[in-house]
Amino acid sequence: MKIKVFDEKSKQNIEIEANTIKEISEKLNIGLGEVIIVKNGELVTEKAILKDQDELKFLSVVSGG
Amino acid sequence: MTCRKCRETPVIHLPNSNISLCKKCFLRYFEKKVRKTVRIYKLFNKGDTVGIALSGGKDSMVTLNILKSLAEQQRTTKIIAIAIDEGIKGYRDETLKFAKKFCEENQIPLKITSYKKEFGMTLDQILKKLEIKPCSVCGVFRRYLLNKEAQRNKIDILATGHNLDDETQTILMNQFRNNVAASSRLGPLTGIKDDKKFIRRIKPLYFLTEKEIMTYAFIKELATPFNECPYAENSFRGKVRDALNKLNSEYPSTKNSIIHSFLETLPLLKESYKKQDISYCNTCGEPTSKEKCQTCKYLELIKK
Repeated sequence: MKIKVFDEKSKQNIEIEANTIKEISEKLNIGLGEVIIVKNGELVTEKAILKDQDELKFLSVVSGG
Repeated sequence: MTCRKCRETPVIHLPNSNISLCKKCFLRYFEKKVRKTVRIYKLFNKGDTVGIALSGGKDSMVTLNILKSLAEQQRTTKIIAIAIDEGIKGYRDETLKFAKKFCEENQIPLKITSYKKEFGMTLDQILKKLEIKPCSVCGVFRRYLLNKEAQRNKIDILATGHNLDDETQTILMNQFRNNVAASSRLGPLTGIKDDKKFIRRIKPLYFLTEKEIMTYAFIKELATPFNECPYAENSFRGKVRDALNKLNSEYPSTKNSIIHSFLETLPLLKESYKKQDISYCNTCGEPTSKEKCQTCKYLELIKK
């Protein structure tokens, strides 16, 4: 299924073919310990079940200041 | 998969304890952990004026938010937010806007001072003049100003948003640099008791990870979109952070183990290094372990 993932750098949604959040994080090289995951506006864990056309955001938890 | 405590949909998985929690149970877990840290390490007393070093980033915003409710419960404890504007265009100006708005809406007194006002130059200008690692000079100046501003506002103790990730990184960095003396000055409560010029520091978020803090900030709408300082990427800390995160994803108790084993050795470290008496800078009079403080040394270089 196709999942819309918000890309922080380009500030645009990119479509990714995947079945799990873990699969997407591996494709995008995102460490799951370093992000929180927002699915369709709601906070979820990496084990949340995905549906076709779901919208995902990975928000970095790293602060530097 | 459901919340370990109430079977609702979880918002976070805690790898160290291998449990998942829903929004409500997570907020309870988080606040309880902060209260426990404050109680066990006696971070402040009723009647104290507690300063919060506020950058507008998620860690300090969460610290302020939680200490505000604790102070309200204790009634006699007062809180004051202190912000330092280093002068980092496109970063600090944005996080400070957020901090100001929050303090106004919640009637929290906020004192702002800046590098420009105190030292005559913004960090952006200083870095054009000095060939120096940004985090080194910025850290020295920020700590100096926080202490000075805390004294001006008669603050008893100063809270920072330092978390479990920051502390584990610092412990390892000190090991890599063979600087054990610096580690003896770490822990949830630091500084020298009864020194009028050195305001002690506390870290209420000491046992919480960045991920937990970001989750709390997201739920409470305290997260700013400006997460990373533009100067942070080249630092040694960034490299240690990446290595630690990688290790922790494979062995989830890594960071917790570092903190707990460190806390076991900390009393011995403090005992070994306690003879280093605090003295005062012969130029500005602020506390330092040397004749001249690092802030004055940097200022001399800038003025050259």
